[in-house]
Amino acid sequence: MVDRTTFRLMLLILGVVFAFLYIPISVLVGLSFNEGGLPTAWTGFSVKWYAALLANDDILHAAGNTLVVALFSTVLATVLGTLLAIGVEIRRRNGKWLETVIFAPMIIPDIVLAIALLSFFSLLGVKMGLHTIIVSHVVFNLAFVCAVVRARLKSFDWSIVEASTDLGAPVLTTLRRVVVPVLMPAIIAGALLAFTLSVDEFIIAFFTAGAGRSSITLPMQIYAMIRFGVTPEINALATIVMSVSVCALALSQRLNKGGLPGQ
Amino acid sequence: MSTDRRPLLLMSPALLWLFGLMVVPCLLILVLAFFRRGIYGGIEYTWTFENIALVFDPLYFQIFMKSAGIAGLSAAIACVLGYAAAYAIAAMPRRNQPLLLFFAVLPFWSNYLVRTYAWIVLLNREGLIVNFARWLGFEGELPSMLYTEQAVVIGLVYNYLPFVILSCYAPLSRLNSEVTEASLDLGASRWTTFRRIVLPMTVPGLATGFVFVFVLSIGNFVTPALLGGGQFQMIGNLVYAQFLTANDWPFGAALSMVLILVMLGLLMVQAVVAERASGARSENG
Amino acid sequence: MSDAFLSIRNISKNFGSVRAVSDVSLDIRENEFFALLGASGSGKTTLLRMLAGFETLSAGDVVLQGGSIADLPPNKRPVNLMFQSYALFPHMTVAQNISYGLEMDRLPRSEISARVSEILDVIQLSELARRKPDQLSGGQRQRVALARALVKRPKVLLLDEPLGALDKKLRSEMQLELKRLQSEFGITFIVVTHDQEEALVMADRIAIMKDGALLQVGTPHDIYERPESRFAADFIGVMNFVPVTQTAQGLETSDGGRISAATTLRLADQIAGVAAVRPERLHIGDVGENRVEGNVLAIAYHGLDLQLHVKTPIADTPIVARITANVADSLTPKIGDRVTLSWSAKDTHIFPA
Repeated sequence: MVDRTTFRLMLLILGVVFAFLYIPISVLVGLSFNEGGLPTAWTGFSVKWYAALLANDDILHAAGNTLVVALFSTVLATVLGTLLAIGVEIRRRNGKWLETVIFAPMIIPDIVLAIALLSFFSLLGVKMGLHTIIVSHVVFNLAFVCAVVRARLKSFDWSIVEASTDLGAPVLTTLRRVVVPVLMPAIIAGALLAFTLSVDEFIIAFFTAGAGRSSITLPMQIYAMIRFGVTPEINALATIVMSVSVCALALSQRLNKGGLPGQ
Repeated sequence: MSTDRRPLLLMSPALLWLFGLMVVPCLLILVLAFFRRGIYGGIEYTWTFENIALVFDPLYFQIFMKSAGIAGLSAAIACVLGYAAAYAIAAMPRRNQPLLLFFAVLPFWSNYLVRTYAWIVLLNREGLIVNFARWLGFEGELPSMLYTEQAVVIGLVYNYLPFVILSCYAPLSRLNSEVTEASLDLGASRWTTFRRIVLPMTVPGLATGFVFVFVLSIGNFVTPALLGGGQFQMIGNLVYAQFLTANDWPFGAALSMVLILVMLGLLMVQAVVAERASGARSENG
Repeated sequence: MSDAFLSIRNISKNFGSVRAVSDVSLDIRENEFFALLGASGSGKTTLLRMLAGFETLSAGDVVLQGGSIADLPPNKRPVNLMFQSYALFPHMTVAQNISYGLEMDRLPRSEISARVSEILDVIQLSELARRKPDQLSGGQRQRVALARALVKRPKVLLLDEPLGALDKKLRSEMQLELKRLQSEFGITFIVVTHDQEEALVMADRIAIMKDGALLQVGTPHDIYERPESRFAADFIGVMNFVPVTQTAQGLETSDGGRISAATTLRLADQIAGVAAVRPERLHIGDVGENRVEGNVLAIAYHGLDLQLHVKTPIADTPIVARITANVADSLTPKIGDRVTLSWSAKDTHIFPA
């Protein structure tokens, strides 16, 4: 579709945009290996900042919490989101309201959801901790899992369900042995997405963690570290956190061939 | 397929969860906006409109306007860059496009705290950009780019650019290449073809991108908090302050309510535009 | 060098190691209705796109009225293309689609509207001028696409499978409609098609393409009656093929019989070849120099005529003979009947196997 000058222009645009997107991240990664830790000069390759992380109890504690929250909320969100997706796609006529409710968690500003949940828990007198974070994370995670699974369901061949029924299988068996196995790549992709979102999520965790340091998550820890003084360990931590997200997402993409919402 | 009951059964756990933990809390906020802050910081359950009125007080209204301005600017910049990038990706050989798109969107899915923090490193007075300038030979005091409005805009654009790329790419990639060839064949220059054929046909993606970036930016908390400095306040920071420092939950709720209404309004506008555009979307001419 | 209206000179197109178009030369006359006929993959569409300017030439030149256009970008050529998918602009009305090309020519507004309404009348879509493409039927969209290209009065109009998407009845109507428009507007048409019947009906001359190369160029009559290759003979119309070998005495069929052909082509001795004859040149009874006996395997009724499929000892596949309704009435052939088919030497073609 393009001639040579236009092609060169397109390459230039891509170059500029990709540079803009990746230079900041690359700088962080680079700095995390910088012996000196500061952007003023490169003093040599070192992993000492990573070692410092491992020695930092607060960070390890926060990481542990984050993993617990992510795992529990992912499992719950995957089950709920998958069932929701299947139900919605079977029931072809769905009102606008239903669609709005399903998409809302992805669009609502996180701070609004955060304060809403805080108010809600306070009003009910619920003592807040990791469990309230988990429960809150499920809210948006299930919406994302639902979106990913629904996208796969759009090209699902429903006649295999009919075939299964015709051959005598009751509904649950059909679900278990026909529908879910075929959907499995999308379900796993959705789960990976939910996991990543939960690991990275800050604001809702911040508001629903409650008082006290016991239920602090990694993003909350990072925020505190940034607010109260930038130290070189943050670069190492940031690099690790990003690598986890990237790996999870690359895996998700592989499994589902572009299963991210919007693609 | 199954009878009517079964789909509802499958959907109900998730729907109950969403209802109980999203709809109800949001309604709660709506109601909370009409109550009053108690003397010691709790909630006094008397019905009042004073919080809503306070939202429109010049002091706070100004913050709303500034937030809208920053959100609008960020959205506009993100749209220009994002559309250009999406156009460039769509112009590449087909087999390379999925990979390019993947890398363009990847930063979007990484931790946004980290992404925002990266700009602190870059923009800091002792940060990378300053050091790079010094390395190039600049002497003397360079203005700090951090803790400014510009830094917040850069941070917002940086965070949401991949989304715009994704949103613009969809209609661009679906564009029937024969339609652009037809335009050229009929005598139009490349620029006219872009202006009169490609752009109008891909505007829905651009509109979606703009609205979403605007909506996500205006309620954003982390980016203004980290890049804007202590004095800088957007709506998100204001709400945060009401809930965690000033302890005026009803007022915070009122602010949130107005924020949600503005967003809903924009989303509805964008839904109407998208609907109108799908009428013109029989791509194969 | 020839001074034809449009001269295509030794053009080739390579995509990597694939030769899509291989050293093709054609001279096309002014005001001619020319058809490029071939199967998919024959290179005909690539050739068309090279003429339009959407593919660069790997070799050769295209000369229009004495001037080379090979280096001109598509928007600067006095050549317009009607796309197979029509490529109408979905966000513009019918009238806007048609006026688009004229706007690019910077014609005055009054002239643009005059020409647009004129052509809308010609294609009979005046009432639909304000509709958008998605509100039109397939046939209507096809006419808009045609009008959009025609209204610019290009020197050459290229049409890529213009009737491919239409149903059978509409297609027959449009074939004649296209011919009428071509002569009325006096524009050189080059049509790409895989439908040989269509090419025979519409074209003044046809070029057969296979695997990127030109096989034969001629009028429909020439191509039909005097195919120069086995492929051309097979591709156009229906043809019967009988394996033969060249011996000292002449052409011998597989059962030892003899066939005579009035042709100067002589196969090398003992080389396998094939004799070909059209179904309508076969007669029932003993009427020509060549004859064979066989049993009627099937009868296909076509209203105007009858196709007899006859199993013979000289070919594996049944020989197809076409007889008119009158003859059929008097002979009343039935399945299983023994018949004698004969034909004259001058109607026999010989090709290498």
